[in-house]
Amino acid sequence: MESFIEWARGPLFRFAFIIMVLGLLRHWLMTVIGVRRAMHQAADKVLPYKAIYRATLSWLFPINKLKERPFYTLTSIIFHIGLILVPIFYAAHVLLWQRGLGVSWPYFPQLLADVLTITTIITAFMLFFARVFDPATRALSRFQDYTLPPLLAIPFLTGFLASHPAMSPFSYNSMILVHVLSANLVMFLVPFTKMSHAILVPSTQLVSEVGWHFPADAGERVAVVLQKENQPI
Amino acid sequence: MARKYSYYVEPFELGERPRRFLETFAAILQNSNYGLALDTYSRTSTKCARCASTCQVYQASGDERDIPCYRTEMLLRIYRRYFTVSGIMKARLLNSFSLTDEYIDEMAESVYRCTACRRCKLFCPMGIDHGLMTHLARWILAEIGVTPKALVVSVREQLEGKTGNTSAIPVIALRDTCEFLEEEFVDNYGVSIKYPIDVEGAEYVFFPAVSDYLLEPDTLMGNAAVLEITGASWTIGTGNFDGINYGLFYSDRMLGRIIRREVDEVRRLKAKKILIGECGHASRSAKAFVPTYGGGKDAPPVINIMEYTHQALKEGRLPIREKSIKERVTYHDPCNIARSGWIIDQPREILRAICADFVEMTPGGSLNYCCGGGGGTVSIDEIRKFRTEIGGKTKAEQIRRTGAKYLVAPCANCKKQLREVCEDNGLDDVEVVGLHDLVLKALVFPEHMKIKTEKNDEHQQTD
Repeated sequence: MESFIEWARGPLFRFAFIIMVLGLLRHWLMTVIGVRRAMHQAADKVLPYKAIYRATLSWLFPINKLKERPFYTLTSIIFHIGLILVPIFYAAHVLLWQRGLGVSWPYFPQLLADVLTITTIITAFMLFFARVFDPATRALSRFQDYTLPPLLAIPFLTGFLASHPAMSPFSYNSMILVHVLSANLVMFLVPFTKMSHAILVPSTQLVSEVGWHFPADAGERVAVVLQKENQPI
Repeated sequence: MARKYSYYVEPFELGERPRRFLETFAAILQNSNYGLALDTYSRTSTKCARCASTCQVYQASGDERDIPCYRTEMLLRIYRRYFTVSGIMKARLLNSFSLTDEYIDEMAESVYRCTACRRCKLFCPMGIDHGLMTHLARWILAEIGVTPKALVVSVREQLEGKTGNTSAIPVIALRDTCEFLEEEFVDNYGVSIKYPIDVEGAEYVFFPAVSDYLLEPDTLMGNAAVLEITGASWTIGTGNFDGINYGLFYSDRMLGRIIRREVDEVRRLKAKKILIGECGHASRSAKAFVPTYGGGKDAPPVINIMEYTHQALKEGRLPIREKSIKERVTYHDPCNIARSGWIIDQPREILRAICADFVEMTPGGSLNYCCGGGGGTVSIDEIRKFRTEIGGKTKAEQIRRTGAKYLVAPCANCKKQLREVCEDNGLDDVEVVGLHDLVLKALVFPEHMKIKTEKNDEHQQTD
């Protein structure tokens, strides 16, 4: 098992991580290119930058968004806080980066990391059950919408158990193996699923505004392609 | 042909609709900017259903077709399957979705249940503009012949008909109406106010919803009174006097053509700016799309009459009797001018000045609910029951809670819908009026406008 773990933490991790980074980078680049191309083609170049900026910030830090679906919204916010911060600021992860690339940054005290891990696991399952029991989300949800929340809970659960062997009914090695494999799977899937919203959210308000800026001759060119230029209404 | 949809459509070609739908979609993607939004929304849509909790149609119907993201997904599914590399590859490996006639019918039904009010966009964490998706889906459907007949007939008359406007009002009837309103000013207010027609070199060319000339004399009189009292340089143009733009509701091709005709009239009269009357979608079509279709930086600026009146009020140039409207008044925000935050405070400041009992409905401003007839649905008479009992249900409750007598709705379409909502929901005491209807009641006409007759001299002493 040890060699499997070493392979999962070594080449497989590097592969998954690079896929995630390159995939997100591609999404970001395609967005930048897409926005520039769209605005180049658009006849109206004036965008309400201040409103877009304020809207973007209000969603990145959504403290004023609790009036609609407050229970779901609060759960989701707490989920994201742990989801994003623990992988980056957990002490053992920081040490891994230091060992591997020589970079390091401040890390959380163990208690804080533990609390955030537990909240992430609990809120992940709450979100899953909220999705299953709400008729509106049931009408909308695809395979990935049901499977991602539980999948995301697995690295957190196994990571917690690995770092608290006294509380774990399973061996350290098995927990670390599942932890690394599930985390690698999640990272690999990021660019291919809705998790790509991680890099796209800062630009979605801009994209929606740009969407209403049409090229002046779009209608006429479509008519030509469809051979309808001279057709009466 | 037999009615297949909730709304009447003109006969359309039945054969190979999926192929023609996809051809149209492809043509639009190649020549427009929709690809960026579609790519982004396909990736970021997290199916959280926050939009469902904010949509007044879904809240009243509970029908999954009315969930904004469900409707958007109907279009995104087609986009992913036929226009993305991963979608095409997946289709070869798995048993993917295929576009069918029935699917097109479902989409055609769903997109005209939506009022395109875009309230959902404000509540989507991913900023997905479901109104933009409805807008695009409607355009594709329009190109394969599926559009509510009510909208097509109006646009046909406006762009190809003899009268050049959606209500088929010939110029002679326009002049008659203006003369009639001038007589009303004399008879009811003792003042001489004229409607300037075809004046060259004016600052503003006035474009109300042309139906106002038929249905809303008080609004038009209020508009003219404010403009004349404040000494505005304005005119009505007989070449084009209709601000209505149903192209916004179903086809970018028509949207562009109608805007160009508006701008042409301004250029013909050597005027400077477009002044839209009390109409929500006419205001938004002009404000948002004159820069696109009217020549970019050279396009004439667009203002809404309420901006004009508010400016005059702020500068002390609007002589009014403060708080002279005694009945309870409330204000409805037309989606097309409030959702983007463009016109929210201006009418409220005017109303607070002239009304003694002004109450807000909640929520208000950019978060206010749609009247239930947005996106052109108000013109579709055959779905009135849906509009007033489902689409307008939340609005009826909002109105009822204010206990207001006057419901100010500065939008021709909202007025029609709200009158029907009030009628069908037992709100018989509520009177739906335009903003300038009330302004007219509170205006103080300057001396130089008053008509000097013996009868009037007596009246002036009691002023």
